[in-house]
Amino acid sequence: MTTASFTQNGKASTVKTTFSRETSVTIEIEADPAIVWALLTKASDYPRWNSTVTAIEGTIAPGEKIKLKSTLDAKRTFTLQVKEVEVEKKLVWGDGQGNRTYTIKKNDRGSVVFSMSEKIGGFMFPLYANMIPPFDQSFEQFARDLKKESETIMRTK
Amino acid sequence: MTEELFNQEFKGLARPLKSFLLRMTASLADAEDLVHDTYLKALNSLPTFRGEASLKTWVFAIASNLAKDNARVQKRWSENVTDIAKEAALSNNQFFQEAMNIRMTSPHGQFEVKEHIAFCFTCISKSLPLEQQLCVFLKEVYDFKVSEIVIILGVTEAMVKYYLHTGRSKMITLFEGRCALINKNGVCHQCSELNGIFNPKQDTQAELVKIELVKEAEKGDKEHLFDLRMQILREIDPLQSKAADLQLHHLEHNRQVMEKYLEKSTD
Repeated sequence: MTTASFTQNGKASTVKTTFSRETSVTIEIEADPAIVWALLTKASDYPRWNSTVTAIEGTIAPGEKIKLKSTLDAKRTFTLQVKEVEVEKKLVWGDGQGNRTYTIKKNDRGSVVFSMSEKIGGFMFPLYANMIPPFDQSFEQFARDLKKESETIMRTK
Repeated sequence: MTEELFNQEFKGLARPLKSFLLRMTASLADAEDLVHDTYLKALNSLPTFRGEASLKTWVFAIASNLAKDNARVQKRWSENVTDIAKEAALSNNQFFQEAMNIRMTSPHGQFEVKEHIAFCFTCISKSLPLEQQLCVFLKEVYDFKVSEIVIILGVTEAMVKYYLHTGRSKMITLFEGRCALINKNGVCHQCSELNGIFNPKQDTQAELVKIELVKEAEKGDKEHLFDLRMQILREIDPLQSKAADLQLHHLEHNRQVMEKYLEKSTD
């Protein structure tokens, strides 16, 4: 299996196999990891800064269930479980079809490298693969929005 | 610092401190108690004050910590508090009788639109999460720098910036959606309506256009309009202004209404 290549330019890439699809995006953000983390984990605040999310209900905390509405499929509400929380480092949520992973890493320039990836798949994947829209554009927009909002907050005087 | 010097300096801080605590609690009695508690705690801790921060920052840190434990500070109000309180006031004759009495007899009983703008902000800001509300008031109204708020709240600079930005953004969005002073389609005209009641001989429109916030509204710069709103709050001492008694009466009413409303919501 091929792994998605990670560059920090905010350009998404997708790797497809017969039984899975993985989309990833990575971007450098000039902000404190605490700010990026606060934005990623405050569910009700998402629609204010993230143009790809119309609503998230619930609490983003270990084991909690959240209900997410996205511009990718406006009519659908995704019920997801928060599967992993490593403060200011890693957040994973998902359902039976796949997981979305967010990671934040400090770099030596005092910025952070933010990555997000989503892998969906399974034995039944070939049957419904064509019904799932591509994530690339939405991922790139998510990363851009997060970068913009984090850096705006960081510049607050 | 000697006790004598502290007492002298505290006198100068007591007014902004009390106004800050009034805006956080929406209760004059609680604000007075908290000022007193802050004084005692600061006096007892005076040997630990090393002057690394200003006395004002140190005293506001003690006050903010005490305020965080206050039940009225902890209660989050609804964003539409002014609608809920208006409905309650309309069915409460006594409220208007008392208010009119204050208007006619108190030297601090005038009604001014600017004062009501400040009052309105105080009420609606209680819908913010506490950290956001504290950061917005400390920075925008009481002139603390981000580095001083870090000391006052004991959180990182990054988080102060986050609370400040999110608090500001939410208040900007709320007023943009509600306030008829800055948005022609805004649903809330209470400051104009009340001006008509308390100052019936005044031309309300003429009064409104004297206010910078209203004059600048058409330009639509939301951040600037928020800054102008904050300027109004900075200029008004809610305990000493010409409208203080009337606005305090109004605040007491809104707080009681919200407390009942929140009680019902949790039943």
